[in-house]
Amino acid sequence: MKLKYLFDAWLVIFLALGFGAALAGVHIGLSPKIEQNKLDKTLREIPQVVPGAVKEKSQPVEIESITVYKAFDETDKHIGWVVPAAGDGYADKIELLVGLNPDASQITGLAVLSQKETPALGDKIKAPDFRDRFRDKSTDQPLAVIKDGGAIEVITAATVSSRAVCDIVNSAVKQWRPKLKELN
Amino acid sequence: MSEPAPAQADPPKPQLHVAPSPHLASTATTGGMMLDVLIGLLPVTVMAAYYFGLHALIQVGICVGSCMIFELMFNAMRGKPASILDGSAAVAGAILGLSMPWNAPWYAGVVGSLVAMGIGKIIFGGLGQNIFNPAMVGRTFVMISFSVSIGSAAYVVHDAPMEVVTQASPLSVAKEAAGAADLPGLWALFIGNVNGSLGETCSLACIIGGLWMVLRRSAAWRTPAGSVLGLAVISLIAQLIDPQSLTMLQHLVGGAFLFGAFFIATDPVTSPVTPRGQWIFGIGYGVLVFLIRQYSAYPEGVAFAILLMNALTPLINRWTIPTPVGGPAPALVKK
Amino acid sequence: MPDTGPTAGERFIQGIIPENPVLRQLLGLCPTLAVTGAMAPAMTMVGATAFVLIMANIIVALIRPLLKPHLRILVFTLTIATFVTIADRFLAAFMPGMSELLGPYVPLIIVNCMIISRCEICASKQSLPTAVADAFGVSLGFLIALGAVAGVREILGTGQFFGITLLGKGFPGWVLMIMPPGAFITLGLLLGLVNWNDQRKKKTAA
Repeated sequence: MKLKYLFDAWLVIFLALGFGAALAGVHIGLSPKIEQNKLDKTLREIPQVVPGAVKEKSQPVEIESITVYKAFDETDKHIGWVVPAAGDGYADKIELLVGLNPDASQITGLAVLSQKETPALGDKIKAPDFRDRFRDKSTDQPLAVIKDGGAIEVITAATVSSRAVCDIVNSAVKQWRPKLKELN
Repeated sequence: MSEPAPAQADPPKPQLHVAPSPHLASTATTGGMMLDVLIGLLPVTVMAAYYFGLHALIQVGICVGSCMIFELMFNAMRGKPASILDGSAAVAGAILGLSMPWNAPWYAGVVGSLVAMGIGKIIFGGLGQNIFNPAMVGRTFVMISFSVSIGSAAYVVHDAPMEVVTQASPLSVAKEAAGAADLPGLWALFIGNVNGSLGETCSLACIIGGLWMVLRRSAAWRTPAGSVLGLAVISLIAQLIDPQSLTMLQHLVGGAFLFGAFFIATDPVTSPVTPRGQWIFGIGYGVLVFLIRQYSAYPEGVAFAILLMNALTPLINRWTIPTPVGGPAPALVKK
Repeated sequence: MPDTGPTAGERFIQGIIPENPVLRQLLGLCPTLAVTGAMAPAMTMVGATAFVLIMANIIVALIRPLLKPHLRILVFTLTIATFVTIADRFLAAFMPGMSELLGPYVPLIIVNCMIISRCEICASKQSLPTAVADAFGVSLGFLIALGAVAGVREILGTGQFFGITLLGKGFPGWVLMIMPPGAFITLGLLLGLVNWNDQRKKKTAA
């Protein structure tokens, strides 16, 4: 009886093997390109995050199994670091890239990798106008929005999103500053 | 749609007086009741015009006008006789207009009216069938859609023609700034000499208009009473726990709470018909207003609180069926 | 197995409007609500779903004489899952931006009942040409439904169509329409419109 069930299933087993092989082929064929896309997405932002950096010359560096990027300019001079950062926004997780200068004492720029803030309000954190407010800010003190006694001007009617970006940047700085200083 | 077969003729017109027995004959009509509401809204409108000038009248005019036009239009589309004369569209328009900031762009009123009448009311089958208060549906739609031009940030206009509107509305101040200390004095909040939506600023006018409706029996007194009770108790507790937060009185007169309690929560269509249900509705509204003001990103929570309680209304009605004289109805005990 | 049932031509026509998967059968509502904030992601979703549907119908129609009744659902799911994975990988490789935008909704095509219902109703019972015609018809129906919802939402929400500004710069976007509530409102009104049209047709026919 049991053998009959197994025999009945020969088509399923056969299909599973065939499909499995096909998927393996697709995976092997496409995965380098997918990996490249992921890397590109980050690399593309590097010139924005560290002004003067050149995309092709930047290198990924593994620190404690997290990839950060060492940014170089045209003349191969090390001009900064790009570190990933993420945290809770108003609607969902916000993922950022934070640019720091070589000794991690100043923020050189920000890029938003993904966010789901309210359209037309919170999603203005993507706008260069807002991101530039972080440029050249010192990392000695945690950043804060003006309402909380800091120096960052909030986006009108999107205090929560603005504050979230500040907090994410602060936690990234706290996490990376000591490590990057050592490396420098 | 245009020629209904005799077999499926329209159900008999619902009587206005939908309270449980005893069924006394009443001379009240929908039109008369809506007229009472409009009269009740008069002091609020006058005070809005006093503080915000012609802007208030234009805003209310746009909303009332477009609500009535859309009602006519949708009724014509459904092939139903126009219900424009019962005044419910005018009331929805007036409430919508009064819930807008003075500088809301004209299209906000028009789109709000379209949504209020279309999605808030006619889609459900017209007056008496809608689940949600039409004006609040419209208000919420435009508040989220045009958050830049009529959200909380829109109220502050530094070079405005009126002195009142150069400061943020009181609840925004409380939300954005350090705490309740920066708020205008209680007297200013009470007579409405502060910024805010057109109809919400003057608590005194809301109370006068509300009392008129309650005395005329066009609004159930239990709903506003329950609302005040709910908000007062929970905000008093909050005040005792954290003296930095808004005080009980600031909560009561500082925003659109009273306007909502008297004019929106008492909407006979979307609030419970049973006396106990009206208490529950009111208290729930008051508590929700507090929770949204305190814990959400929005400074004011009246529209959301009303919509949430509207959604609960059928349930409240079922929970609170009163026991008729002579004991419980046998059919309800077991079926 | 004899090929009884509607012909290929009938299947094709029926899939478009009379048995439209979204508007008539209310299947595939998850993508209809989730990815219709703009035309571009909606159309990508239609393309991916159509690919999976057509391939699944072809495979199922080909192996139809071998199917055991109690194992058929398993075979359908296996086939669909394979092509969904292929579609997902292709999007990730060649349209990375879109793949990210659609996020989990591409893998979720697996549980789109619209596809398995076509395998069950048509492909496992009828010949290959009929199954292919059926898949194309249903895909076209899906395209119409998603295009209608996404078109209304994108135009009202942003004043654009496929990212091209259609209404003037002065048009204030109804932001709510590109947020989730806008999907429910639009789909509800669209279904109402379709039903209203049906009733009207029935009345005039009677």
